[in-house]
Amino acid sequence: MKPLLAIGIGNRLMGDDGVGCVVAERLAGHPRLPECVEVICGGTDLLRYAGQMEERSRVVIIDAIEGDAEPGSVAKFEGGCSGLDEHQDHAHHLSAVQAIRLLEMTTSARCTLLGISVSSVAVGTGLSPTVDARVPAILDRVLQELDGAPSDSRGLP
Amino acid sequence: MKSVVIEHLARVEGHGGITVELEGGTVGKVHFDVFEGARLLESLVCGKRYDEVAPILSRICSICSSAHSLTSLKATENAFGVQISPQAELLRELLYQGESIESHALHLFFLAAPDYLNFPSAIALAAAKPDAVQLGLRLKKLGNLVQETIGGRAVHPVNVVPGGFGTVPTIDQLIELRTALREGMADCDAVLNVIASLPPTDFCHCDTAYAALLSPDLGSYYPGDEVMLVNNGDRSRVRAADYRMLANEQSVLHSHAKHSSFGGRPFMVGSLARLTVNAQRLTGRLAVAMQRLQLQLPARNPMDNNKAQAVELVSDIERALHLVEHLLRDGIKDERPAEVKVRAGTGTGITEAPRGLLIHSYTYDSEGRITAADVITPTALNAASMELHFRRTVEQCAEREEAVLARRLQMVARAYDPCISCSVHLVRRQ
Repeated sequence: MKPLLAIGIGNRLMGDDGVGCVVAERLAGHPRLPECVEVICGGTDLLRYAGQMEERSRVVIIDAIEGDAEPGSVAKFEGGCSGLDEHQDHAHHLSAVQAIRLLEMTTSARCTLLGISVSSVAVGTGLSPTVDARVPAILDRVLQELDGAPSDSRGLP
Repeated sequence: MKSVVIEHLARVEGHGGITVELEGGTVGKVHFDVFEGARLLESLVCGKRYDEVAPILSRICSICSSAHSLTSLKATENAFGVQISPQAELLRELLYQGESIESHALHLFFLAAPDYLNFPSAIALAAAKPDAVQLGLRLKKLGNLVQETIGGRAVHPVNVVPGGFGTVPTIDQLIELRTALREGMADCDAVLNVIASLPPTDFCHCDTAYAALLSPDLGSYYPGDEVMLVNNGDRSRVRAADYRMLANEQSVLHSHAKHSSFGGRPFMVGSLARLTVNAQRLTGRLAVAMQRLQLQLPARNPMDNNKAQAVELVSDIERALHLVEHLLRDGIKDERPAEVKVRAGTGTGITEAPRGLLIHSYTYDSEGRITAADVITPTALNAASMELHFRRTVEQCAEREEAVLARRLQMVARAYDPCISCSVHLVRRQ
């Protein structure tokens, strides 16, 4: 089996939508990143990474999430991401939730989605000040997950 | 007056929809509302240096990121009069073929096939037809490998730069690519079997005008700077620099996307248009594929765009293999990018993205910074044609049951493989 894979996805031209990519980039050079973890900074199409998921037992996906939670908080979803809308919002690629469910059917990988609540998704480079200020805490939470530390699904306070 | 409003096109769009007004047997307004994100992103590059532009605009779309990068570079190089080497031209075409393989495989196997088979999603398709889904995944992986090898990564390529490429692939990488493409060739029959087995979709017929890049060697996506329009046997040519004459954009009240027409007629871009405009290419294996799929040109059914994508998928793998073999036979030169001397001016690049003509046009100042940018996507060019085909679909449907109409309209929309809201990627709580 290959090492654990962490994939940050999103669009960095759309404000907080790109937070998964920002986290993946900072993760890649982080001194606390376990040696047994590979990191990909992706685009918006998770299915694009089906090949990289082969022969992995676990994949951690870091993505922006829309909802009522506090911006910058992190929520964990497993087991096919129940509780998340799988609606296809994209013209020519699958939603992240659909892609996760499909990839769990077609590869050996079990997926964990770490969803980061957003403040603003609009055309523009850079994160919102609220989410940007939370990036160190978000990184800490993601590193805990990658390090195999016990975690819950309540999200950061 | 009865209105059929499809606010949420399943697997198509979250920020738009179709509105149809019916009065008895008469079809009133048919509107297709589009949120077109690309236009808003243009403002992000104003004031940017020429070498910052392609990496930013490649983010317009995750599926077409190579297309946006390459079209952006073509526009910039045209503005500065930069001539890239024949090897760089060939590598860019190979990158484009990789993107097309990945994109067509995604569309045909994960988005269109569930429509035809009445599955709610690709997940249901995977449960019922795992072989078809595995085939699609293999082809996507093949397209990704081409893009990783040439572009430096599978999405948002980092190795294409003004003047050429940062680095060139090694012989070993090209040999690995050749092996993978040969395996891909073995999958081509299976592709045609899957597409040929899909139920017929004869619910929209009308004369259709087509526009595509005149391909110098008939099957390429990158080179060329002249567009041909085919309309009922009439052929017109438009040069890249005159793209505004081609797009002829008009604002419409009901949509954020402007509507394009040529000679007063909407036109369709994409796979079907490419095959129609460059029909001389359809020989050998492609002629057999056309026959197998019962695809005849010029097509009067927009659903045939799916069949045309399948023909292109076969063609793309064959051409990519041919390009790799060409590079291995002639030897790959370790060349640097052509020198870029900035100057004030305007440049336009037109290429064939997987879903049709893609136009980038920039104006630079004397320091090489953008003062104006214009990006016209295939979906924007297709918007008026889509609306025309939606109208014909409703007119030609004997039933007025909303569910029947909605399914047909969604399938026609899907056949265009539209890129509407792909600039945002959010997961939502239920």
